[in-house]
Amino acid sequence: MPVWIDPNKCNGCHSSRQPPCLRMCPGDLIVKDHALNKAYLKYPEDCWDCLPCIKVCPEEAIEFHLSYQFGSRGAKLSPHVHKGRDHISWEAVDINGKEETFTMQTKVMKVALDEKVEDGEQGLDFSI
Amino acid sequence: MIERQVVETDILIIGGGTAGCMAAVEAKEQFPEYKVTILEKAHIDRSGCLAGGMNAINAYLNKGETPESFVRYVRSDSCGLIREDLVKSMSELFEYCVKKVEKWGLPILSDENGEYTARGRWNIKINGESLKPILSRAARSAGAKVYNWLVVTNLLKEGDRITGAVGFSLRNGKFYVVHAKAVLIATGGAAGLYRPNNAGDASHKTWYSPYNAGAGYAMGIRAGAEMTSYEMRYVALRTKDAIAPTGTIALGVGAPQVNAKGERFMVTRYKDIGGDGAPTPYRAHGPIQEIKAGRGPVYLDTRGIGPEKVADLKKAYLDMYPSQVLYWLANDIDPDKEPVEVQTTEPYIVGGHCQAGYWVDQGRRTTLKGLYAAGDVAGGAPFKFVSGCWAEGVLAARTMGEDLKKMETVQARDDQIDLEEQRAFNPFRNHEERKHGIQAAELEARLQKVMEQYAGGASTYYEMNEEMLTVARKKLSSLPAETEALVADDLHQLMKAHEVIDRVDVAQVLVEHLAYRKETRWPTYHTRTDYPERDDINWLKFVNSVRDPESGKIEMITRPYEQLVSGDRYKP
Repeated sequence: MPVWIDPNKCNGCHSSRQPPCLRMCPGDLIVKDHALNKAYLKYPEDCWDCLPCIKVCPEEAIEFHLSYQFGSRGAKLSPHVHKGRDHISWEAVDINGKEETFTMQTKVMKVALDEKVEDGEQGLDFSI
Repeated sequence: MIERQVVETDILIIGGGTAGCMAAVEAKEQFPEYKVTILEKAHIDRSGCLAGGMNAINAYLNKGETPESFVRYVRSDSCGLIREDLVKSMSELFEYCVKKVEKWGLPILSDENGEYTARGRWNIKINGESLKPILSRAARSAGAKVYNWLVVTNLLKEGDRITGAVGFSLRNGKFYVVHAKAVLIATGGAAGLYRPNNAGDASHKTWYSPYNAGAGYAMGIRAGAEMTSYEMRYVALRTKDAIAPTGTIALGVGAPQVNAKGERFMVTRYKDIGGDGAPTPYRAHGPIQEIKAGRGPVYLDTRGIGPEKVADLKKAYLDMYPSQVLYWLANDIDPDKEPVEVQTTEPYIVGGHCQAGYWVDQGRRTTLKGLYAAGDVAGGAPFKFVSGCWAEGVLAARTMGEDLKKMETVQARDDQIDLEEQRAFNPFRNHEERKHGIQAAELEARLQKVMEQYAGGASTYYEMNEEMLTVARKKLSSLPAETEALVADDLHQLMKAHEVIDRVDVAQVLVEHLAYRKETRWPTYHTRTDYPERDDINWLKFVNSVRDPESGKIEMITRPYEQLVSGDRYKP
């Protein structure tokens, strides 16, 4: 599974109808379970590995994984956006536990916790 | 009962990506009196090819280069056949577009004299992690109205005039009818026509955005627009498994391709056409031939580049393709000590790298009145990449603005709109009425199997012949009717159903193009084992197609090539 939302860290962005991870996924693959107040990746097989979801999560609750078919678990790569939003640091840990940090200039845009749906939301029931 | 939402606009942009955002800004700046509306399938801040970011602008006229030198390069890189008028007109706007985006906040690396840092002849380095939100915010600040999560299912047409588009919202389930005076298609190219490289949870580990499902091509095909050069597919040379760009390594640290024996096969076998600098199709074709001959795996030889350059490579990948870095971390790979393995992807149809797309004039008008095309969906102009898509957005916006002044409003008939609504929600109705229809994933697997095995997929080394294509044609022929049995039980599945409907329409046209061009001009992109040589006497021309909107018959036509920039067409 390329990205994984840690249910222990995810707070559903409180009362957000559409948390940032859900909105920023270009494949519409993340949904929020409003009963549990947690977001999760509903369609892992359709994930492109593009990672906007990770970068916009205010709780840093989303982990980046390599599909297991490409390599063993244990290595880690986590981005941290700096307060000024003009730098991003990537914390890298290889399979042997060796750590490295890469800091780069960037321009990370602020993303609101929620956003309204144009022309209103609609609960649809297509079950048969 | 499906609720209907009607929107009126002057300029409608379908697809809020690279080309669409830039077109919206240009349209609002040049023609503030016009209403500009963008329909976007995802959220415009992170949609399309740029969702993950970019680390370079790969089409830029660095110091000393001119539009003419660019045309010469692109022409030879595309094996002597391009629309020179289109390539030239876009290159004239590279600087205009790049400076604009820099002003909006894109960090571009510069040297001590203030010149952009070049990375190869046509490339400049950027810190483009946030390139997409930078563009989307510019489009919104300029005054474009954006509808996110709007899946467009078809164009509206009255006579020979495109009058708008219809679709549904992934969020509120309403049917949207958008009436427009001018419509710009900027939906990108098509992934998912061929079986992907990986299975399971990595089946979307593709080079091209898997969410670009060829909607723009398909809508144009159904409306009877003329298309060009689908047979020039794109097969990308990528790093193994991570499918990250190889240019970052090849251009960034000058690493050459080597085979399993350490032989620089591009130099030894493709010396006459430029060795490591051979035209792009050959740089994918070369390694495939090595693997086919039993001399794989194939690598980019990064050994000995030193820890500093390794760190630079990692930073460059973190700006656009972080999974490459994670792949190295997980597999204990140090590019300084071992070479980076490469592979080729499944074929895509994409007018920004190759030239599959709408047949357009210099103003980016398609052959249908009121319909314009820019970016990956527009044909004839390869080597667009990001900046060329921007340039085409600008060109289309300017043309639309001028054309609008003399265009009268035409509205689609209600009965046509009713039919479109039925078509859009048909998979829902099937779900309600029948329990055993066809799932989008099933139809996708069927389509990809045919394309993979009979239309030049990776498993046949991208090769094809007349007989294989005849089988492909026959096997595809029943699929359009079978799409009518697709089922969807929620809006996400409805989107998936339409994506596969669109792919089937694109695949049928693609097979006709692959079969029609009887030469091999672009090896691997289009390897005809029955016509293995390039044939300038008979095939220095464009292969175009029009699908008759009534009969559904695909008619093939050719259009002449015109050389506008002097020089040997095979020399950069």
